[in-house]
Amino acid sequence: MTDALYVQALYLACGAFLLTGVLVLWRRELSAIVRLFTLQGVALTALVVVLGLWQGELELVLVGAGVGALRAGLLPYLMRRALVAGGAGRETQPLVNVATSLLVAAVLAMLAYAVSQPLIRLSPTPATQAVPVALTVLLIGFFVLVTRKRALSHVVGFLLMDNAITAAAFLTTSGVPLVVELGISLDVLLAVLVLQVLTTRMRAAFGGTDLDELRELHD
Amino acid sequence: MNLVGTLYVTALAGCAVAALAALTAPARARLPLTGWCTAVAGAVGAAAGVAALSGGVSAGVSAGVSPGGPAGGSGPSWSAWLPDLLPLAGVRLAIDPLGGVFVAVTGLVTVCAAIYGIGYCAHGLDGRLFQAVLPLFVAALLLVPAAASVSTFLLTWELMAVTSLLLVLAEHRRRAEVGRAGLWYAVMTHLGLVAILAGLVAFAAGAAGESFAELRAAELPPGAATVVFLATAAGFASKAGIVPLHVWLPRAHPEAPSHVSALMSAAMVNLGAYGIIRVGLDLLGGGPAWWWLLVLAAGALSALYGILQAAVTSDLKRLLGYSTTENLGLVLVGVGAAGFFAVSDLPVPAALALAAALLHVVNHAAFKTVLFLSAGSVLHATGTRDLDALGGLRTRLPYTTAVFAVGALCASALPPGNAFVSEWLLLQSLIHALPGAGVAGAVTMPLAVGVIALSAGLAVATFVKAFGVGFLARPRSAEAEAARESPPPMLAAMTFAAVGCVVLALAPTLVVPALGRAVGVVFPGRDVVSGELTLRLAGVSGMISPLLIAAALVIAVVAVLGLVRLTAARRARRAARLWDCGAGPMSARMEYTATSFAEPLQRVFDDVLAPESDVDVTPMKESAYLVERVRFQARVPDRIEHRLYDPLIAAAAAVGNRARALATGSVHRYLGYGFWALTGALLVLVALW
Repeated sequence: MTDALYVQALYLACGAFLLTGVLVLWRRELSAIVRLFTLQGVALTALVVVLGLWQGELELVLVGAGVGALRAGLLPYLMRRALVAGGAGRETQPLVNVATSLLVAAVLAMLAYAVSQPLIRLSPTPATQAVPVALTVLLIGFFVLVTRKRALSHVVGFLLMDNAITAAAFLTTSGVPLVVELGISLDVLLAVLVLQVLTTRMRAAFGGTDLDELRELHD
Repeated sequence: MNLVGTLYVTALAGCAVAALAALTAPARARLPLTGWCTAVAGAVGAAAGVAALSGGVSAGVSAGVSPGGPAGGSGPSWSAWLPDLLPLAGVRLAIDPLGGVFVAVTGLVTVCAAIYGIGYCAHGLDGRLFQAVLPLFVAALLLVPAAASVSTFLLTWELMAVTSLLLVLAEHRRRAEVGRAGLWYAVMTHLGLVAILAGLVAFAAGAAGESFAELRAAELPPGAATVVFLATAAGFASKAGIVPLHVWLPRAHPEAPSHVSALMSAAMVNLGAYGIIRVGLDLLGGGPAWWWLLVLAAGALSALYGILQAAVTSDLKRLLGYSTTENLGLVLVGVGAAGFFAVSDLPVPAALALAAALLHVVNHAAFKTVLFLSAGSVLHATGTRDLDALGGLRTRLPYTTAVFAVGALCASALPPGNAFVSEWLLLQSLIHALPGAGVAGAVTMPLAVGVIALSAGLAVATFVKAFGVGFLARPRSAEAEAARESPPPMLAAMTFAAVGCVVLALAPTLVVPALGRAVGVVFPGRDVVSGELTLRLAGVSGMISPLLIAAALVIAVVAVLGLVRLTAARRARRAARLWDCGAGPMSARMEYTATSFAEPLQRVFDDVLAPESDVDVTPMKESAYLVERVRFQARVPDRIEHRLYDPLIAAAAAVGNRARALATGSVHRYLGYGFWALTGALLVLVALW
């Protein structure tokens, strides 16, 4: 792999990663959001694999394959199952409307860019220069968590944040140890399973998954 | 491992065995098994403390050899370094004579409290948890004076705080006040812990390491040393119940089970004084004079305020709790004076004042154990602590009455009580410092003497009230009328403690030279006293012989009684009814009560105590001149608590109420807080870098 090809491939993967993150804000169909999340998982896999190929480490490629299996395979599958199980298929009324959300995403991207400058200055390689992308997706994920009402959107927001953290870890370090990555992935899987159970229970109890209805539970 | 180490480790193991026995033994065997195990552990611990006191390098011997550095007097009798017991820092233990004093006191108090508990806990306090926590509390009390590094000290201190809190809360199902007392205690003790933690951690950061030996060798800049001293002193003062941090004490001591009160009041609060001596005098090695004048002033204030509140309260155990504040105040007067004299280059009075303070710690532990245990016996027999409802216990609880009388005599600082000896020593040190103590000393010392004298006088009134109203005359309530003497284990423990008081009162010469060795840890190279029958002060003129005083008193009393018998026998006796103004036979309602006994004092100290009284007159419907009912209510609230703590608590509650609007129950709002905090932090980061 030549230098130019590596940089091109890396930035293509990062671009896809960022784009899918932003598009999550744009779409309202829950099934479309899950599809976007799948695409983001693929982009993340590509990112890790490109890094692995560039550094010539088989272990990193294998980790990338594992990340892909989890984030583009298992997690979307679980979410689709939750989606099929019932309930409204649309994010009817987000707290912040779509146009404003996209503007906010732009602002967050600028903030992430400004914040990551000191990090990039530490070692200005092509990989670290892509760190703002990961930070942007992190903030967008948090924003989704704050403004979307459906439980499934929340799960996606949470997973966006986790994707972003993984991406930042791979971009800033030369490969995360397998044990650490395994630990994080299992944590995420567990969190999603718990959230899925919670979603099902909520639907059984309240007939919907609007989180604001939980307000009545407080003392 | 030497003798001290063997005994000490055996004592700790005994506590562990007792805790295990409490958890596993069947319900019937639990009380005796746990009680005796704890008592044996206490006895062995006391032996370890005594061995550390007698076995340490004698301060007198090292006088000529030692260069006289702050730590050169006598090394620890035993030390241990267990690096693997705890992560990061390990555990470092060392017992020197100073720690030995407190270990010995704790051990002896434990013996009494544990045996007493066998009888006292039979009704409702024989649960697994309570019985298992008590030995743990004792172990923590034994560990604190032996801790020799910051982390070990803080850990054992926290263990002590938590276990004592659990013990205070033992009866929370029976009375609602227990919960409130526990809350006060928990908050105060943990604020104290935070202060100590901050101080000691700052100290360790300024030194080369966290072991006490390294702290001793450290040279802190004066500002940092002052911060360390003030923070730790505040924390230790709150444990010692020093005004204005005493508020937990008169609540927690009455509400705890009586043998726990005894352990807390006679063993735990001492460790506050220990902390100030250890950190201020030993580790920081003195400091400017104003530190010690501050300690002295706080001690004097506590002595006066504590005994004043004790004099006007009518709750027996609350009275004893306030008396603890008074006595620890006196101890701090001694400690403060010792530090001040050391800074003013007066080594003789300094050593004497510290010895007096340590002797007062020992004496206070002895008589407070007696008093709390016998108060527990009264509570056990009558179910009430209210002196106004007691009375007439002399015929019903003869043993308890006798024991309480011994304790009350000792507590009132009159000869032949034991507190008299320590207060006399304290006064001697203050008086003998006068020529060389400079202007500050010349102003402070006479005031301190006055405070000690006044507090001794008020203590007499307080304990005359407690004994006279509580035990003599006729019973004022049906409960007091039906009182029955307590079971044998309780009586045995009380008697043992009373014997300890008597020994301390008659033969302080057994104890004071050993305390001199403890003083040698801080002020090396000096004997404090000498003499076997008579205490002779070393370096200044002054001597006292409690045994001879007691003998003279006995002879005088016998002579007076004999004289009265002789003169009275000449006149004919006749029996007649007491003149009662024609108002019918005298009833118990005509007796002096605790409230009425304290009324004159309350009037004299009206401005200080600010008592509240409330008269509520309900007239008849027909006429305003015909009164149906008059209700009178008087109480003496704790003024410091009222002025200092109530506004603080109200402010905290107001902030909390206002903050309630932040938490509406909306998940989005909570997530939003996180989001805004994160972006805010990032923005700040961007703006500043």
